[in-house]
Amino acid sequence: MTNAVEMIGIRKVYPGVIANNNVNFSVATGEIHALVGENGAGKSTLMNVLFGLTRPEEGQIFINGKQVHIHKNSDAIALGIGMVHQSFKLVPSFTVTENITLGGEPRKGLLVDRKAAHDNIVEISKRFGLQVDPDARIRDLPVGVQQRVEILKALYHNADILILDEPTAVLTPQETRDLFGVIRSLVAKGKTVIFITHKFNEVMTISDRVTVMRDGKVVETKDTKDTNPTELARMMVGRDVLLRVDKAPANPKDVVLEVQDLEVLDNRNLKAVRGLSLQVRAGEILGIAGVEGNGQRELVEAIVGLRPVYSGKVVMQGKEITHASVRQRRDDGISCVPEDRYVRGVALRATLEDNLIVESYFKEPIGRGMLIDLNQVTEFSQNLIKKFDVRTPSSKVTAGALSGGNMQKVVLARELSLDPTLLIVAQPTRGLDVGSIEFVHRTIIEARDRGAAVLLVSAELEEIMSLSDRINVVYEGRIMGEVSGAEADEESLGLWMAGVGGNAEAAHEASSEHTAETLKG
Amino acid sequence: MSKFMNSMRGILQRSFTLGLSILMAILVGSIIMLIDNHNPIEVYRLLLEGAFGSTRGLFITMQRATPLIFTAIASTLAFRTGVFNVGVEGQFFIGAIVGTWVGYAFQMPAVIHLPLTLLAGFIGGAAWAYFPTVMRQKLGVNEIITTIMTNYIATFLISYLTNYPMRASATTPETPPVQVTARLPQFVEISKEFGKGSQAHVGIFIALAVVVIMWFIFRRTKLGYEWRMVGLSHMFSEFGGVNLNRTFISGMLVSGGIAGLGGIVEILGVWREYKNLFAVGFGFRGNLASLLGGQTVIGSTVAAIFYGGMESGALSLEWGAGVPRQLIDIIVGLVIFFMAAEGMWDFLRRRKAAAKSGGDAPTAGQTPAKPAEKTEAAGQAAQAK
Repeated sequence: MTNAVEMIGIRKVYPGVIANNNVNFSVATGEIHALVGENGAGKSTLMNVLFGLTRPEEGQIFINGKQVHIHKNSDAIALGIGMVHQSFKLVPSFTVTENITLGGEPRKGLLVDRKAAHDNIVEISKRFGLQVDPDARIRDLPVGVQQRVEILKALYHNADILILDEPTAVLTPQETRDLFGVIRSLVAKGKTVIFITHKFNEVMTISDRVTVMRDGKVVETKDTKDTNPTELARMMVGRDVLLRVDKAPANPKDVVLEVQDLEVLDNRNLKAVRGLSLQVRAGEILGIAGVEGNGQRELVEAIVGLRPVYSGKVVMQGKEITHASVRQRRDDGISCVPEDRYVRGVALRATLEDNLIVESYFKEPIGRGMLIDLNQVTEFSQNLIKKFDVRTPSSKVTAGALSGGNMQKVVLARELSLDPTLLIVAQPTRGLDVGSIEFVHRTIIEARDRGAAVLLVSAELEEIMSLSDRINVVYEGRIMGEVSGAEADEESLGLWMAGVGGNAEAAHEASSEHTAETLKG
Repeated sequence: MSKFMNSMRGILQRSFTLGLSILMAILVGSIIMLIDNHNPIEVYRLLLEGAFGSTRGLFITMQRATPLIFTAIASTLAFRTGVFNVGVEGQFFIGAIVGTWVGYAFQMPAVIHLPLTLLAGFIGGAAWAYFPTVMRQKLGVNEIITTIMTNYIATFLISYLTNYPMRASATTPETPPVQVTARLPQFVEISKEFGKGSQAHVGIFIALAVVVIMWFIFRRTKLGYEWRMVGLSHMFSEFGGVNLNRTFISGMLVSGGIAGLGGIVEILGVWREYKNLFAVGFGFRGNLASLLGGQTVIGSTVAAIFYGGMESGALSLEWGAGVPRQLIDIIVGLVIFFMAAEGMWDFLRRRKAAAKSGGDAPTAGQTPAKPAEKTEAAGQAAQAK
């Protein structure tokens, strides 16, 4: 069997970093090949080389056994290579057909032959079992369908080799399963798929072979059936990694946070949180599972005080704080690791010291009268940097100079420095490597064991299931159902995440209300 | 050690780009001078000699730099809190006119009169900054627009005041002179020899005191921390519990106050009465000096003194060599232009690098920085709505 893709001795150097160091990578025709590695391992660089987005210093590429020179993106497309990026490149106000044919419209004289385009897409979507309404507008489609449009776009340009860059990051478990179905049908029709991911269970489920990268090099390529998640993790990180989180049973005490019938508006003034209630007790982790964009962001912002509450109540240890300021709430013991690490979590252009003291500069011992004691600032910062093992040359470098994992440690250090009664953590491990994830998870559990109430919001189902003592699933701004952490299974959580079962009636009512409001707005 | 190296590297980089910009400006300026039939080397020599080559030149430099230090520091303070205060110009005038009124309308001993007059200037400037600040905070109106507009209002308001209610002279629109008890002495009034041929005055000490105080506030106080952090990232500061509204407003008020103080110091030291349009452009040049100085307290002070020197040199050029001072304005304009171009070069370089790497920047720090800033800008836009 010939190889669809054969990359030999690829070397790509960025200033100060060898992104790809003598990489050999081959994909057999008709296989599903998983490419795994931590952030910065060089997966994206390698795929960008293949897709003609960047040019390597050295190396050869063979497509279907023939040596090729890919100088630019259009070369790669002409060779039948297609890529679906993590963030979709679609025009929301265009229809599916318009998006797919954009830049390659069939023409009739000077005009676009709309009918030919439409028929062509219907034909392709039938052939590969990708159901999409060609006339629907992108903005009206769920994420999973948008992704399908991206795949169709590649197929429309006659792609035989498809690169999928972390395609499941934005999907529910059911949508992921649908996607896997699509991938299998593509392969059955003779296509070749390269699947970039960092989730080991997906590697095990979908791929035929897997290539692991670390530090710009290929560690190994293996048949999937000959390996297991533990081995993959070890190859990826270079040491043994604890995949399951070790934690003692929870010891819940008094209710710390109580949210009652909360309604919160999003940036477009639509209700994003619609009558949500929950309770978090001291010494337990409550996980909020759900596909992103179902009101989690607004919920967290409303509890922290960054977003006004439309109706309902937020009660902290029996005291109503629905309309309190951010600082008052922090004084009441609320800490938060925000989901926008680069926007809310740190000030990128400020020093670590300035980042670390934002919640303590105004009180003793750092703040004295109107002044700030600079010696105290340095001492305070260096203690936290040491305690949380932040890898940095000094406490005076800017936060933007740190890696994602170290930046998150800075955020955690600051938020835990005040020994919070309630710790809110939103998408705490997004974009982090396996080693940092382990650290963040351990820190969260330690906070719980010290008696903090923890509210964990995450789109990563695995994270929710391994950390939470109780799990609530949110869909369209409401809680669909609750299950204890021990009893949770991916299947039923996934259904709730998709708005099926549980509180189904409420959800249906919610979505029709939602449409009405959209129309009004 | 590494901390020292870091800050040294920053200063070096900054000086290098500044030096490069000045060099480019000098080159382009030379071409213009050649076209105008002047020997550029001779002109530059006279320029520097005029500014810094003699005691008299130095005093004129000092006199010219004094108001610029105020307006540059005022701009810097606003920039640092994330606001572009184009209104420094108007705040400078309003501070001057309010102070002038207190200066001529009351009679009291100097120990009370002088501080009171200065305070009036500060309050005048702050009050004039308050209006656009409230517009921004409550209605989300862009402060650049409102401060430009309030500059016009200030100009015409003062034109009215000096032409009608406050007019003292039948021939020209000017106010009565301020009382002797409110004046800032010129050096030449203190000693005949010292500062001869210039109107340099003790207001420079007030300017330098403002510099030291602002430097201290930024570095060592809670208020300064809040100003800095809000300027660096208001999204982060809000999350950390900093009261954005209060911080913005206090920053703008103090910025306006410093501009107004600059206005009254200029009146009390040099003019001693308010002549309509006595010193147009100090505010804008302060904005520029702040940009030149990298929006830091020390940097903009140095830039203001440099700018003052250029003006002093230009004066002596005009007297001595017949070179029109507009040429000097062009040179200073070119320096600013090339400074701004530095940002442009940086942008182009990054875009080129991004095109090469297919938008996949390799270092951990840079990749996330871009979307973050975008979101931040979006947040600002949302706030503006």
